[in-house]
Amino acid sequence: MAVLTRRRNHRMVVDYADDLRLFGTPWKRVGLVVLVGLYLFVPVLFADLTFSWLPDIAQTAVQAFFNLNTLAYVGVFAIGAIGLNLLTGYTGQISLGHAVFLGVGAYTAAYVGNTYSWPMILWLPAATLAGFLVGAAIGPFALRLRGLYLVVVTLGLVFVGDHIFRNWESVTAGNTGVSTTAAEPVLGPLDFTGLELFGHEFTTEQSMFWLIWFFVALTALLVKNIVRTRPGRALQAIRERDLAAEIIGVDLSRYKIMAFAISSGIASLAGALYGALQLFVSPVDFALLVSIQFIAIIIIGGLGTVYGSIIGALLIGGLPRIIDELSRSQDLPGVGGDVGGVDGLISVSSLNQIIFGLAIAAVLLIESRGVAALWERSKLYFRTWPFTQ
Amino acid sequence: MKTKRWLRLLAVLFSFALVAASCGDDDDESADDGDTTEDTGDDGGGELEEAPGFDGETIRVGIISDLSGPAAVIGEPLTNGNRVFFEALNAEGGIAGQYPVELVEVDSTYNPATGVQVYNQIKEDVAVIGQILGTPVTNAIIESLEQDGIIASPASLDSLWVREPNLIPVGAPYQIQMINGFDHYFNEGDGDVDSDVVCALVQDDPYGEAGLAGLEFAAENIGFEIEAITRYVSGDTDFSAQMNELEDAGCTVNAFVALPSVTGSALGAAATNGYAPQWIGTSPTWINVLAQSELAPYLEANFTVISDAPDWGDTSVPGMERLIADQEEYAPDQVPDGYFIFGYYEAQSITALLEKAVELGDLSREGIQTALEELGTVSYGGLTGDYTYGPPEERVPPRNSNIAAVVPDAPNGLENQTMDYEADYVDDFEL
Repeated sequence: MAVLTRRRNHRMVVDYADDLRLFGTPWKRVGLVVLVGLYLFVPVLFADLTFSWLPDIAQTAVQAFFNLNTLAYVGVFAIGAIGLNLLTGYTGQISLGHAVFLGVGAYTAAYVGNTYSWPMILWLPAATLAGFLVGAAIGPFALRLRGLYLVVVTLGLVFVGDHIFRNWESVTAGNTGVSTTAAEPVLGPLDFTGLELFGHEFTTEQSMFWLIWFFVALTALLVKNIVRTRPGRALQAIRERDLAAEIIGVDLSRYKIMAFAISSGIASLAGALYGALQLFVSPVDFALLVSIQFIAIIIIGGLGTVYGSIIGALLIGGLPRIIDELSRSQDLPGVGGDVGGVDGLISVSSLNQIIFGLAIAAVLLIESRGVAALWERSKLYFRTWPFTQ
Repeated sequence: MKTKRWLRLLAVLFSFALVAASCGDDDDESADDGDTTEDTGDDGGGELEEAPGFDGETIRVGIISDLSGPAAVIGEPLTNGNRVFFEALNAEGGIAGQYPVELVEVDSTYNPATGVQVYNQIKEDVAVIGQILGTPVTNAIIESLEQDGIIASPASLDSLWVREPNLIPVGAPYQIQMINGFDHYFNEGDGDVDSDVVCALVQDDPYGEAGLAGLEFAAENIGFEIEAITRYVSGDTDFSAQMNELEDAGCTVNAFVALPSVTGSALGAAATNGYAPQWIGTSPTWINVLAQSELAPYLEANFTVISDAPDWGDTSVPGMERLIADQEEYAPDQVPDGYFIFGYYEAQSITALLEKAVELGDLSREGIQTALEELGTVSYGGLTGDYTYGPPEERVPPRNSNIAAVVPDAPNGLENQTMDYEADYVDDFEL
């Protein structure tokens, strides 16, 4: 019997344990190894590679994309997007207030760092907890409101948050903004402003890449574990139809508030890490546009998938940087690369915004379930071949 | 069993990574060592050692401006000013006559977060930052500057910059502009402390706070109350609420701390309402195109701009002749513009700093920091007041301001009515 179980095709699910497997197929295991390999190697190898064998344009693009600083920001976006995907993608509660929770995390970290000089092992959980609690306080609104009404309420949250960030001066330093350097990214012997491992010094960029992508993996695992187990099924039932979910025994208030709290906690974690990257945060960092960016990330990446959030963050975070570098090095026709001398029709950042908008429109038109769905579709094609239609 | 097998694979991979990491690092170190030896060899020939942003020949200077945000109207002439000065300098050989300057320009869109990100993109590639446009952006980048040990020139006149070790500011701060502006209005101008009602319309950010701090200091010393303070957020386009608030409060003289993109719409709303108090604006409220707009008559009657800058083409100021000559040669399309003048003298401060570093024989990050501490007083030929640099606590910024009225036919649309005005108590303002 044991032999039979081992030889069984990996797609054949006979019990709950099979259903729960995170890395159930050989390819998924290979994928995991590749990802861990990338995690470890990218900061070391790609920092110095020049990709000189590529054509000029591709070379610039690849270099821009594998810039560790860009990837660190992408990581922060990925963490926040995973959190939002739990709330919006899995639970169906659309929130425009996500940026506020990033702010809560960043300001909490800055505050406990500045006032109490807490180490990272305390400020990071404190920031996460603050977001968790604020999220839990916002959650009950979702009990009475659905769909567009909830969107409007969370939109209001952005402006309330902005007002608080601008006026609670003892904590946020008001309009000026606050330095986050006191919340140091130092964990015991690991100083992520410049790791020293085995007698070798790494740069801030390399160290922060490892730190942030570690948390990307951690939140991805956490959310994956939530959604593949009982609470996750409850959340998805709420997404499909909350009344029906309640009738089959899902405790609506409990699960909706939980989704808000966890999603916000994750956003605050992202916010605290954002602070550690930026070294300084001010109210404009957490404006409405940031919330919209998060929505765009999960729409483009794929609603209701964890890896879709990461793909979306890579696209939304990496693309502007590539365009920026390309226009500076390649003289894109019609794009004014230089400040002060607009030779082209359009400036780089305007071009970026237009592409950003077009990308969202294109994804919704071509594959409304996002890039992740393209991947799932191509997988399905090969799995069912030659019976693919 | 299964699980353990791939865990083992991971462990193997991890150890590979560590080996690769250490190898990679070794390579770096040996490469660096090689460079250093070569450089020391060069040193014998009297050359400076290579450093970030300096390849032994060209010095690269970062420019973090605003091309597409709300301050783009400032960013363009400002950067043009930087560029023209350095092009003229390069024509004479460059810094200290032998190191030409190359600008690395990026766009912050006047957004602090974007500012930090573009800063991170260029920081490894530049020796100094020759321009950071805007108070909020500068504020956001300061921490990074300190961490990286890079010196930058803020294109912003906040008094906070005076004591920042990593900044080389120019000009009298906004606080000083407001103090001098209001003192001039009440002592030399039409103001009357008993009958005037003083209010403020400011941008809801650090720049607005800077102007407000000056207004509050002036209020204490002159003896007036600030009746109402109304704010707007950068990017707002409708100012009718603010104008109604000011009008309802009966304000007759308003401090105006804003960007030029706001001046048109805000004062346009006031003009439409028929609300015509006296406006006293900081230097960034003005842009030359306002003088050609329909609003010009209103501005002519009600608007005063406080700045450092002399009138465009005023050759009684020693530095002006060369500025005009350089502009005609290197940027003939540039129309008369106060921000061009700012960019031009800002580049002078960077040049003075870099020449000091060359003189001290060290263009590294530390070398440039030392140069700033030993820089002493830099004179800008009257384009802005002389500034004494040095260790942060010993710096002395200029405290004089020019009071300008709107004159549509003047080259920049402004004509200074009073030059080098200094309120008696302006030295008491703690910078």
